[in-house]
Amino acid sequence: MSWLPQSGPGRDDFERTFALRPDLFEAWREFAGLFFEKRLVDPVLLELCRLRIAQLHGARHPLSVRTPEALAAGLDEAKLAALAAWWKSPGFSDLERSCLRFAEQFVTDAKTMSDDEARPVVAALGDAGTVAFVEALALFDGISRFCRMLDVEPA
Amino acid sequence: MSAPRVKPPATRGNDPISASALAHQPEALLAFMKLYGTLWSHGILDQSTKEMARIRNARTVDCGI
Repeated sequence: MSWLPQSGPGRDDFERTFALRPDLFEAWREFAGLFFEKRLVDPVLLELCRLRIAQLHGARHPLSVRTPEALAAGLDEAKLAALAAWWKSPGFSDLERSCLRFAEQFVTDAKTMSDDEARPVVAALGDAGTVAFVEALALFDGISRFCRMLDVEPA
Repeated sequence: MSAPRVKPPATRGNDPISASALAHQPEALLAFMKLYGTLWSHGILDQSTKEMARIRNARTVDCGI
């Protein structure tokens, strides 16, 4: 359980922690849900990046959950087993590799992102898709940091 | 300064956020503004602490906005 002395209602430690600020939690859920529900970006691509970011942060809660839209789109545990060393695995497409590289750079040092790293992502996703993708990365990065800093337990 | 990686959208708002590339995704922009507005308007943390963190973060990632 999170080290916070208080908690709110919820089904797991994440919900009970975020429920301490219910209005913020509701607005966050509404925003975060859009990216998968409206398919602003391919759900498998998003889920791979969400989980890779959680791996980089060692964030246990986001690593313990799977987004239903990504599973419905065909993402399976065999592929996820290779995610921690995706660059060594032939099971990731060129676009997935470009997006994972972009996501890692976003987390580790966004200001050193190069045009060469960004170009294949923008070319594949388009302007609107790239905006959605980067917004989603910000959400994933933020919530992984949230869970890590507050020591939110896995679901 | 390098060129923007995403072209500016055709329809843009007047404030720095809605005038940015975020306007490419209007529904996400609205949801973001609601979240951001909640954070700034309804929080229990004082505004100066939030602003200090916001500016510090922007400097860390070298974001001019």
